[in-house]
Amino acid sequence: MHLPSDRWQLARRQFFTQGLHGAGTVALAGLLARESRSAEAPSGLSAGDLNALAGGVSPLAPRAPHFAPKAKNLIYIYLEGGPSQMDLFDPKPKLNELDGQPLPASLWEKMQFAFLQKETATLMGTPRRFAKHGECGMEISELLPHLSECVDDIALIRSMTSDQFNHVPGQLLMNCGSAIAGRPSVGSWLSYGLGSESDNLPAFIAMVTVGRGVPGGSASWSSGFLPSVYSGVLFGGGDDPVQNLNNPRGITPDIQRSSIAAINDLNRLKMQQVGDPELASRISAYELAFRMQSTAPELVDLSDESQATLDLYGVDRQEPPIKSNLGGTGLFGPFAKNCLLARRMIERGVRVVNVIHASWDHHSNIDSQLPHNCLMADQPIAALLKDLKQRGLLDETLVVWGSEFGRTPLGENRAGSAKVTGRDHHPNSFSMWMAGGGVKGGQVIGKSDEIGWNVAEDPVHVHDLHATMLHLFGLDHTRLTYRFQGRDFRLTDVHGRVVPQLVS
Amino acid sequence: MKCRRSILVGMWMLAIASSAVAAEPAVDFRRDVRPILAQLCFTCHGPDEGTRETELRLDLAQSVFDESTGSELPAVSPGHPERSELWLRLTSEDESLRMPPPESGRSLSDEQLDQIRRWIEQGADYPSHWAFERPQPPVIPVVRRGDWPRGAIDHFVLANLERRDVEPSPEADRETLIRRLSLDLLGLPPTPDEVDRFVADDSPLAYENLVDRLFASPHFGERWGKHWLDLARYADSNGYLGDSLRPNAYLYRDWVLEAINADLPFDRFTIEQLAGDLLDRPTFDQRLATGFHRNAMKNTEAGADREEDRVNRTVNYVSTTGAVWLGLTVGCAECHTHKYDPISHHEFYRLYAFFNNTEEQDVTVPAGPAVAANDADPSEEVAKAEAAKIKAPAMTEGKKDRRTTFVHVRGSFRDPGDEVEAGTPSVLHPLRPRRESADRLDLAHWLVDPDNPLTHRVTVNHLWKHLFGHGLVPTADNFGITGEPPSHPELLDYLALELVRSGWSRKALLRQIVTSATYRQSSNLRSELRQRDPLNRWLARQSRYRLEAEVIRDSALAVGDLLNIRIGGPSIRPPLDPRVTQYSRNKDWPVSPGVEKYRRGLYVLFRRNTPYSMLVTFDAPDTSVACTQRERTHSPLQALVLLNDPVFHECAQHWGRGLARMGDCEPRVWITAAFRTGLARHPTKEELDRLVAFYQEQRTTLDGFSAADLQTLIGEPVAEGLELAEQAARVVVARGLINVNEFITRE
Repeated sequence: MHLPSDRWQLARRQFFTQGLHGAGTVALAGLLARESRSAEAPSGLSAGDLNALAGGVSPLAPRAPHFAPKAKNLIYIYLEGGPSQMDLFDPKPKLNELDGQPLPASLWEKMQFAFLQKETATLMGTPRRFAKHGECGMEISELLPHLSECVDDIALIRSMTSDQFNHVPGQLLMNCGSAIAGRPSVGSWLSYGLGSESDNLPAFIAMVTVGRGVPGGSASWSSGFLPSVYSGVLFGGGDDPVQNLNNPRGITPDIQRSSIAAINDLNRLKMQQVGDPELASRISAYELAFRMQSTAPELVDLSDESQATLDLYGVDRQEPPIKSNLGGTGLFGPFAKNCLLARRMIERGVRVVNVIHASWDHHSNIDSQLPHNCLMADQPIAALLKDLKQRGLLDETLVVWGSEFGRTPLGENRAGSAKVTGRDHHPNSFSMWMAGGGVKGGQVIGKSDEIGWNVAEDPVHVHDLHATMLHLFGLDHTRLTYRFQGRDFRLTDVHGRVVPQLVS
Repeated sequence: MKCRRSILVGMWMLAIASSAVAAEPAVDFRRDVRPILAQLCFTCHGPDEGTRETELRLDLAQSVFDESTGSELPAVSPGHPERSELWLRLTSEDESLRMPPPESGRSLSDEQLDQIRRWIEQGADYPSHWAFERPQPPVIPVVRRGDWPRGAIDHFVLANLERRDVEPSPEADRETLIRRLSLDLLGLPPTPDEVDRFVADDSPLAYENLVDRLFASPHFGERWGKHWLDLARYADSNGYLGDSLRPNAYLYRDWVLEAINADLPFDRFTIEQLAGDLLDRPTFDQRLATGFHRNAMKNTEAGADREEDRVNRTVNYVSTTGAVWLGLTVGCAECHTHKYDPISHHEFYRLYAFFNNTEEQDVTVPAGPAVAANDADPSEEVAKAEAAKIKAPAMTEGKKDRRTTFVHVRGSFRDPGDEVEAGTPSVLHPLRPRRESADRLDLAHWLVDPDNPLTHRVTVNHLWKHLFGHGLVPTADNFGITGEPPSHPELLDYLALELVRSGWSRKALLRQIVTSATYRQSSNLRSELRQRDPLNRWLARQSRYRLEAEVIRDSALAVGDLLNIRIGGPSIRPPLDPRVTQYSRNKDWPVSPGVEKYRRGLYVLFRRNTPYSMLVTFDAPDTSVACTQRERTHSPLQALVLLNDPVFHECAQHWGRGLARMGDCEPRVWITAAFRTGLARHPTKEELDRLVAFYQEQRTTLDGFSAADLQTLIGEPVAEGLELAEQAARVVVARGLINVNEFITRE
């Protein structure tokens, strides 16, 4: 597109004052962030203003990061509810020894729990066996046999810590950097900071394997106060993966093509009359919409995948019977497919893919339901890592596995419940992992104490995780800002520290 | 070299100016210098005692010029950079002395340094922040082109343009004017009949009469009520895990609509929403108005910390009140003293104290005409309310076990600091409590006190921005030091004083604005303005911008002749892709029966966790906090909504079938009619030619379709006596018109 030199000049001046070099395009919304750090420049530019300034350049045009990135794409696997770290990632022999013992009051007196009655609760060991795997000898639970084959690519953080012990505030903090609603999600910040590499798919896609339902709703992939173009686009299965992707009944692709041609011609005529550069944005939006209509069905059509690939992910696996499951049943196929789709999206230039499943909130029946969820999730997630690696995509694709918090080493003795068969929410200390995207695999970061109550070494707060993720994408978390309500907001608020072990 | 040149120029200038420094452009402290100090210095030398490093405060004139601050030199010696500690520190070669400290990573550009030097040389004028000073009645400026202004507003705008040697734009044509007015005042497009009547009206008062008619329409309250509901973060659910519905929240929404239609003076409007319960023998309506703060999100998750949630909500009340009435980012002081504005951490909690004993208490809808927001059939609503004993959300002041308010250290309520009493920021006018201890009613009175330098300005700015696309202060949410200064300060002050003078009548103010020559200008972007004022801050034209989500929906329903214009009542659920609700914990979305689903966008049930996707796609606010300025984006998902969303397609089908009822006629005839319905103007020849070509191409394609496929495309019922392919082609053309950018644009 031709940019009139004067408008370009205005945009360009502000763009380059921050020392960021765009690939021949200027980030109009990115301007706002950068602008806000420049003392002489006023803020308060709306998306419309920026459109006017940038002359219709897409807000999703690719933009260079602050420094050389290691990762270009993110696959964020979010298992909502709080998977139990001491049953999956963090072996605690001492906890098994102390099974049934009360916990000293000094550890819990100042803490709050959702359901657990702390005065009478007792420690609960795990029946899960852990073994060392890979060259690094990382200890992983028997519930994750497939992932155990990938440990040399994984950096396991056993010292995660959060401030929030309820689901929605915890999810908001983990996915948007603040327990208060209305903030942009991690994927939105990345789309805003880096733009899109795809000409015919959204920059940020969310896929939810619907089990119990995500408590925070769309907040986990919403753009919050950022313009809505940075919001995650919800993809479903089936032949109509995006809402309104299919033409209404009776409208053929031919009619659609010819309609869009006429619409855009009328818009061009109008642009000549009124001289409004925003019309260029609208014209390109229609062109992208049309391309998306043909690309997205091809994306979700797995018929060009080999049987070996489908088997690797376990798309056609049989689900063992279970009486009931909080995380839902009938999801083995859909979850595996979403993991495979994540790879296909990355291949096509999608910047961020969220793979979400709810729920891992095992207040009860953890012994039957956690293994069931693991059976569903373990093989496809490991397959995704192996598949990305085999295709040479893992180097530039950061894969993050996590949830809003972990679970208590105490058994949950909820009032009115006869038996103790689960664990309550536990933000003090829990586990997450990362792989690819420049992260050194085969390492364990941090330690929890002997019973997994608190972090013992190298705590990694949620804000630190976010700072590190942005760093891997070449973004300085203190410089990626957006002015809203008179304040420069960032993903990490006023916190965050890059975890050196993860980025070296 | 530089120095020498300025001396030379200065000597030359002595002949015509009294001072050598006049050779350099004048520095405006507020525009040029304070932002530099605020961004780079205030953190350590500003209002926040928590991060202040020394006694020196650069945010206070007395400290800046104080000659006894420990250093030998004052921070600033007017006229003498070389005797100003500030200048010496900024330019010191010694890293241990230089400011900002090198390790802070902050530094000033050469241009910024130059501005500071010139500011000091030019006498270091240090006026206080404009927004904290009461507006003075401005002198209406004289303009050269005396035939242009229609009123005072135009004098301010034109005088500014004449200073820049820029012409205002010509008046827009009548077709554009009636569409602009209808969209701005009612949120609905005009019908072709209304356009015809206005265009043909040769009365000299045609425009004013149209304006009067629109102000009298009950849809005015819907349009401007929705603007207020954005500020009020209105939604129909709690948010958080359960996201339970608030089935009666609509009663507050309807109160707003009715208050706007009745032009309830803004001071009363304020007092009733913030403290209606504290008025002497409050009416039901006055108590209902306090539903304003019931709109805050609420966490009812099992096991959630109730006190934490109450504190979060209370903080939201304070931040919202600060943003909506004061235009200040009061919320920044929740965790620490404000970095830029003079609002201390303690003062935040003094404001917090006003709400710290506020409790939720529903009020029963009384029998009688109290809820007659519904002009169509009030009796029906009241009858329903009576039958069900409907409880409306409201607030009350807790009497028992009243909480004492403490500062929350670093924003944590678990870490109480000093005890504080209810009070207002000391930088503003004094609070005048009725009794010994101040309450919410005192706060409300304080907000609308004519001495308040902010409320009237902020309010007129909110009104203005809906008529020009942006406010006179473009940062509508920030009148503080880091906000953008007003483009027309005297005009802002004039309007603020007018609002108060008119008895806080919003309709009177809006009327004055929309009847101005400034408002009536064409929005076409002249090439010289594109270069000199691309953001239209000077108002040498009207603004052209995308319509809000709700108005886009309403426009499609209106041109499709499906719109149900019933006003008020419980929120509705139009058809929605089940995927949107399925990922959440509350999945049900029973579509409203019959014509209920065709009601206006502002009535669509807003469930915070799974909001109606069309609204979100077109940038409706998420309702977590007050929205002072909606975004206006363009995205492919918006294109997919207009092209493919079942609601929009139904509008196109219905519209196309209406066009089919025009019978067998020249394509130019029905296409012109369609164009006029959709865009409220006649097409140009090129536009008509393109549409006719589009039609002909479609007609050829559709002639090859089976009857069943055509029937599917047209939908039911089918018009008699016209070929199916022709009817289908009209649907396709109607669908195209809904997708033309102008359809979703206010010009």
